[in-house]
Amino acid sequence: MDYFLQNFPQQLVNGLEAGSLYALIALGYTLVYGILEMLNFAHGDVFMVGGFLGAGVAVLFVHNGVASIPPALIVALMVLAAMGGSGLLGVGIERIAYRPLRNANRLAPLITAIGVSLLLESVVQVQISPAPVLVPSNSLTPQIVFQVGNIATPFMGATLFVAAILLMVGLDLFVFRTRFGSAMRATAQDREAATFMGIDVDRVIVVTFLIGSALAGVGGILFGLRFSTVNFFMGYLLGIKAFTAAVIGGIGNLRGAMVGGLLLGVLESMGGGFISSQYQDTFAFLALILVLLVRPQGLFGQPLTDRA
Amino acid sequence: MGKPRIFALVAMASVGLAACGSSTTGTAPSKPDKVQIAAEGPFTGDEASIGAGALRGIRLAVKDFNNSGGVHGTQVTLVPWDDQHNSQTATTFQAQGISDPTILGIVGPMNSSQVLATEPGLQSASPPLPFVTESASAIKVTEGGYTVAHRVNARDDKQAALDGQFMIDKGAKKIAILDSGTDYSRPLADAVETYLKAHASTIQTKRDVATNGQTNFTTVVTNMKAFGADWVFFADEGSETASLVQQMKQAQLNIGANINFLGTDGEDDSSIITKSQGAYLGAYASNVTADPLSVSTAASFVAGYKAEYGANSISDAGPFYGSAYAATQVLLQAIANAPVNNGKISRKDVLSHLGSDTFNTILGPIKYDSKGDVTNVTIGIFQAQGTIAAPTMVAVKSLSG
Repeated sequence: MDYFLQNFPQQLVNGLEAGSLYALIALGYTLVYGILEMLNFAHGDVFMVGGFLGAGVAVLFVHNGVASIPPALIVALMVLAAMGGSGLLGVGIERIAYRPLRNANRLAPLITAIGVSLLLESVVQVQISPAPVLVPSNSLTPQIVFQVGNIATPFMGATLFVAAILLMVGLDLFVFRTRFGSAMRATAQDREAATFMGIDVDRVIVVTFLIGSALAGVGGILFGLRFSTVNFFMGYLLGIKAFTAAVIGGIGNLRGAMVGGLLLGVLESMGGGFISSQYQDTFAFLALILVLLVRPQGLFGQPLTDRA
Repeated sequence: MGKPRIFALVAMASVGLAACGSSTTGTAPSKPDKVQIAAEGPFTGDEASIGAGALRGIRLAVKDFNNSGGVHGTQVTLVPWDDQHNSQTATTFQAQGISDPTILGIVGPMNSSQVLATEPGLQSASPPLPFVTESASAIKVTEGGYTVAHRVNARDDKQAALDGQFMIDKGAKKIAILDSGTDYSRPLADAVETYLKAHASTIQTKRDVATNGQTNFTTVVTNMKAFGADWVFFADEGSETASLVQQMKQAQLNIGANINFLGTDGEDDSSIITKSQGAYLGAYASNVTADPLSVSTAASFVAGYKAEYGANSISDAGPFYGSAYAATQVLLQAIANAPVNNGKISRKDVLSHLGSDTFNTILGPIKYDSKGDVTNVTIGIFQAQGTIAAPTMVAVKSLSG
């Protein structure tokens, strides 16, 4: 019992940190599902591409010593490159791979999404690097550790959590408090009726992909700076976990995705810390099965449409 | 049958007898039409840092062999099989190799997981396709009764004894024993734990898993800290180590200061110092093969490697560049010793010579026992030293026999 009490706070912090990354990626899944009712399985790989774009900027400025630019500015450039690149990639995928199938059988875009996912992984593996790429985080972020009693978290761990929460809150405000957010919710509720009401549905969908993919890009940067590495297969497992988080929270529900992500991270951390680290990845899927058995619509139950 | 035909038959019989006579009187054997060997390992992917250096060693061995005349004048062609540390990919290559009779053997596979996945298929091929691995150390590799299996490195049982005794000698009290859940990693971690329990019952151990492919080790590091470990033993192929030691440092577990770290052969890799941004400095790693830099018979090989790949190429050659060269020497000598019939060399004969001959390699003479193991092999422990910009692994202990 002492062991549990002594280590519970640290495992909770570990779980919240991991969970905030799942939540950030889960938002992209849930946004697209809310609007189009399609599962964009390429989303995890958009996150991976964001990580590589950020790593590319970091390597260019730090390793190659292009110029002595302040680290904060390099990080800002990394974020810009990752958000911009991933956002545009998401828009491009929607335009080329998903839009032509918008009225097709629901299976068609799902299979296409898996194809896009494999394509992105292969392109990055062959054209950029088959081996993990080092992100020189020591040169870019403060190497300080926040310590409160027994609990310690590095600067980037705390930053990951805070940045994810801020982005999630910002997105929530955007969707529920702005005119464009209303258009998104209207499109989610009834695409045809939204068109009759003068909403440019295509534009809404493009912006949805842009936002979701840009958030994934930020996730990629945060991952790279936190763990100092990116690799071409990093979007696979993280993508599946983020999707699981979205389903646990209630896919289509933004706040559900946030809570689902955090919950998943904490469950994994507690399971790995107090039961067995060997089964750490299994706890996520065990939680998914349990939630679906008890509450098939997910914890928050209502899709975006019902909250409009 | 007319007279001309009878003359022709007599002439052919004479030529045939002459040929038989020449082979028994020791003249040069005939030249094979085509000789190919495969090199299999993780040349790209998460373990490229160990695979790429090994492939360079193999390429150099083939080049040197061809420069000295090849197989009775026939140049050997090297076919690289990049399995990316993936058993499914390895199985695909295996099928390709089995169907091509001019591929006479494999140098590799490097990882025990890929060896264990492919050796039943290599054995059941007709004729069986032999392999000589430069790094696969799992005990099961040569304990399955597969005659195709050969290695130039030591086995896990020998490495586990070296690792366990090293930590005992260094005064370890609480050891966090980690594996990555692979066919290579888990049995080795088990063997070390068994050795420690048998030889130092006062040492406390705690098992944990840092799964292959994982990046976030905060839970494992928290467990390590809660246990109060003064040593970490991590049996791994190397791809997780940089992330793990960085996260240990972030949790204020500093290698060489308040904790010690012993890795295994994949972690005898100076590139981990760079990848971990210095967190790996001071860590130890054992290796199942000898360090060519400390073997006198390998001096010309080391010079040749530098001449071929650059003066600084040794620093990023990984742990198996020397054993890869030696494994290639073994396979090529077995092929050269096999008879040539009608321009062809049979894998069956190559396999037979692998079992019976003694091979001269840069790491010393190699002769196999009935399982395909080498009885006399030097293994060692290395320490991560230098700087992030100039990383190096320095030998601190070696064990022969």
